[in-house]
Amino acid sequence: MGTVQLFPEFVSETLGLSGVLGDVVGSLVAAAVVGNIVLAFTGVAGPWAKRKITAAFTDRIAVNRIGPFGLLIIPAAAVQLLAKELIVPEGVDRPTWDLAPLVLPASALLGFSVIPMGRLGPVNLQIADPEVGLALVFAFASIASISLVMAGYASNNKYSMLGGLRAVAQNLAYEIPLIVTAMSVVIFAGTLQTSGIVAAQGDVLFSVVGFDVPTWYAFVNPFAFVLFLTANMAEIGRNPFDIPEAPTEIVAGYQTEYSSAYFVLFYLGEFVHIFLGGAILAVTFLGGASGPGPESIGFLWFVVKIWGFFLFTQWARSALPRVRIDQLIEIGWKGMLVLSFANLVLTAVIVGVIA
Amino acid sequence: MIGLMKSMATTMKHALDGTTFTVEYPEDAPDVSPRFRGVHKFSQERCIWCRQCENVCPNDTIQIVQDDQRNGEQYNLHIGQCIYCRLCEEVCPVDAILLTQNFEFTADSKDEFVYNKEQLKNVPWYKGIDPLESRNPDRGAWIGEGDGEVDYQ
Amino acid sequence: MSLEVPDTTETDAVPERTPDELEALLGDLVIDRDDHLNAPGFVIRPDAVQETLSTLKSEAGYDHLSLVTAQEYENRYESIYHLKKFDDPTQEVSVVVPADKDEPVSESGEAVFRTADWHEREAYDLIGIEYDDHPDLRRILLPETWQGHPLSLDYDRDRPQIATLPEHANPLEDHHHDSESDTMFLNIGPHHPATHGVLHLKTILDGEQVIDVEPDIGYLHRCEEQMAQSGTYRHQIMPYPDRWDYISAGLLNEWAYARAAEDLADIEVPEYAQVIRTMGAEMCRIAAHMLALATFALDVNGDFTATFMYAINDRERVQDLLEDLTGQRLMFNYFRLGGVVWDLPEPRGEFFSKTRDFLDQLPGSVEEYHDLVTANEIFQMRTIDTGILPPEVAKNYGATGPVARGSGIDYDLRRDDPYGYYDELDWDVVTEDGCDNYSRLLVRMREVEESAKIIEQCVDLLEDWPEDERNIQANVPRTLRPDDDTEIYRAVEAAKGELGIYMRADGTDKPARFKIRSPCFSNLQTLPEMANGEYIPDVIAALGSLDIVLGEVDR
Repeated sequence: MGTVQLFPEFVSETLGLSGVLGDVVGSLVAAAVVGNIVLAFTGVAGPWAKRKITAAFTDRIAVNRIGPFGLLIIPAAAVQLLAKELIVPEGVDRPTWDLAPLVLPASALLGFSVIPMGRLGPVNLQIADPEVGLALVFAFASIASISLVMAGYASNNKYSMLGGLRAVAQNLAYEIPLIVTAMSVVIFAGTLQTSGIVAAQGDVLFSVVGFDVPTWYAFVNPFAFVLFLTANMAEIGRNPFDIPEAPTEIVAGYQTEYSSAYFVLFYLGEFVHIFLGGAILAVTFLGGASGPGPESIGFLWFVVKIWGFFLFTQWARSALPRVRIDQLIEIGWKGMLVLSFANLVLTAVIVGVIA
Repeated sequence: MIGLMKSMATTMKHALDGTTFTVEYPEDAPDVSPRFRGVHKFSQERCIWCRQCENVCPNDTIQIVQDDQRNGEQYNLHIGQCIYCRLCEEVCPVDAILLTQNFEFTADSKDEFVYNKEQLKNVPWYKGIDPLESRNPDRGAWIGEGDGEVDYQ
Repeated sequence: MSLEVPDTTETDAVPERTPDELEALLGDLVIDRDDHLNAPGFVIRPDAVQETLSTLKSEAGYDHLSLVTAQEYENRYESIYHLKKFDDPTQEVSVVVPADKDEPVSESGEAVFRTADWHEREAYDLIGIEYDDHPDLRRILLPETWQGHPLSLDYDRDRPQIATLPEHANPLEDHHHDSESDTMFLNIGPHHPATHGVLHLKTILDGEQVIDVEPDIGYLHRCEEQMAQSGTYRHQIMPYPDRWDYISAGLLNEWAYARAAEDLADIEVPEYAQVIRTMGAEMCRIAAHMLALATFALDVNGDFTATFMYAINDRERVQDLLEDLTGQRLMFNYFRLGGVVWDLPEPRGEFFSKTRDFLDQLPGSVEEYHDLVTANEIFQMRTIDTGILPPEVAKNYGATGPVARGSGIDYDLRRDDPYGYYDELDWDVVTEDGCDNYSRLLVRMREVEESAKIIEQCVDLLEDWPEDERNIQANVPRTLRPDDDTEIYRAVEAAKGELGIYMRADGTDKPARFKIRSPCFSNLQTLPEMANGEYIPDVIAALGSLDIVLGEVDR
């Protein structure tokens, strides 16, 4: 791989810059564009799409007053949330308390740097394509749990503390199956490079009445897909694994004491995290940006896939109960871990035999 | 797993059937039943100042002031304190106080909910429904028809 | 004695002892007789409470301490222990314990019936009787710093009161602390998403596990008993029962007052009104159980669950029917002594068809809830075998209603102590043997179906009722003045369990003592039994499965 021009290179070439200056400007511009795309997703998702989707599942109408389909609720909600008073409780451990809401969205946004988001016209929306891309993504994503612990510990609140500790326990238990399952994909693809994994899914698995079913790993190994999906839900802390927040049990978990802009950052971070989860899923199992039509609209397919994942998290939220903390740990260590290793070994054997 | 699938299928079915049970209030104002008990309406023309409503009121929401000739001077009703039990309407022999269907009332402070007789007179009918007519013939069922003392003060 | 002739068709043969036999059994414990309208009453010495109660419990089978009423007379204090049998609640006996006016002390019954714990604390709090041997005699509804006892005769209402906000200490800190482990005190509530109102749980955690939980109640105390005591029997009390269990179980509550007052004043209710009452009450039960299901789903699923909205939607439909019938969606004030205030709404056909439509779609909804909730494996994982309440413990705590029936106790006043039109209709009492959170939910869901059966039969009856026999109210005097010193305790099966009213008349048009036996009050008392040793989420689920309404707990 590596023959495809990356987004920063495209920017510096378009601007006619070269050398270090070109690299810096290109990277900054590319990062700003990708970051803003992702933030725009969350902006739409948080105040508007989430409400609309939840409302559809619960037979309600939801936001419909401001603007067409209530879309102007997005700026309204932004102003409202940012205009609120930032309440700093007594006895919080600063600056840990202030850093925690920055770390969460930052970690999730960083993950997007190596995600191949597909082409939009002449532009290939990928900032970097290192050879250890997939490992890097998981590394970035797991910084999030540090943020949750920081928030939980620094808030000087028992509910926050419980939430923070739950977050660690949960992430430890599910990160390993998540990565081990992803490794089975790596065995198939033979590379850790994200663009390589996507490219490896470009063949035709079989054809059904004129339809070409691609070699997306979700079709090649559905078992691993389900495992990965489950572990991913736990990793991003959505139902049935929304233990660290668990409203109705521990109020709002680690974010109980946060308000105003800090709360927005957490909220944002969670949504970026969901989208990052969707992006990882799309890259490893759903063929990245591939889909019918010309390659130049690949980005749109990518958007469809990550929004599909977002929809799925909301769907699960409307229907599934939350598991208990001890059950969660049990499922993680005794179930998921074993299954993911079994999957890895099996994949390795199969790939070894075929190759 | 089958149970999980069933749950997911159920919510998806609801999402796809497109029906909603919430309405766009106030454009789509709900129909309230003819018996619904909302804000009171008072008619000074009908009132004979017998003070039975004041007497029966369980939590002293109605306050009546009379002069020494026992002519009515004030009729005050705290619509925020009222528990909407409709005993005043039931006990009134001349239909001078009625509970309209009107459930929409706002104020900036609790005090503003103390209505005097003018304000009570001006309470609008909800959707033009006059409970006196709409509740017919149900209003025939009256409490206290039996023997015992009638306290007309 | 009992106003109602004991139901002789009762199949389970619980031997009933005559009052004289009971007196002989108690021997010289009895110093006098003070019979109530519902039961024989034995006056005993204040230091013989435990002996009397345990004799009655073990030898005569009175295993249900329904209520402890306390009151102050001009010359004495008095505690009344209202005893019943779980097997046959029509067999009742009252144990009357007078206490000295100057130094009101009597022995606690807590050692015999655990449920006496909270009841006696309430008596101490509101009346001022002190109970010897009580394990934990503190105020329960009012703040600890409250001065005076509000229902005692010489209480000064105008005295300013100070309620302090002390920090809660961890009572177990010392003896659970070692180098390996430590405990943490956690206040759940009074403002918490899952306490269903202003309930405060003093919780002590060891990690995620709860090692002790103590409900702290009284935040919603409005002194409903005192309010009822200052209202007239005839009109002014009836609007208030709606506000005890205020989540649309109003008609069931009104019935509790209506039943007690009608028996006290000897009023016969026309049969037609009884059918309407039965139908309305069961509609309320459906509405109440729907909300119980909805909030339980919130507690277990999290706050974006669709189950909540679906159940609320079904509840709305019942409320529409109730609005047509009574004129209000929550605070009905529909019953009157001797009947109901309104006949069915005209045109009757429309009301019947609306009701039938609701009943027709109900099985589909229930099916959907089973798909969403009870069939869900994660849900089963969460609720089965958590929050265990063994039947003996439930009885000891006086738990009733779906909580008791979820523990396999076959006890339902609609069948066992029939009132209204229930004994003429075909329906079943639902019990489950699981004793866990799941069983309690299942009982409620199945009771909804039974209620639908009852409503359907009532609609059939009402549809064919001859027009000239539609008598909705008995001829009741404008002013009721029951005879001086008559006392009665009557209970009905409300949405949460046995809702009882004790009234003492003093010859005026207002009750001298009005005491409410709240099912939630007794049910909530079982929470520590269910929760200790479980995880936090299970405590929340157990609390949800008790389905308490703080308006009724605190009154």
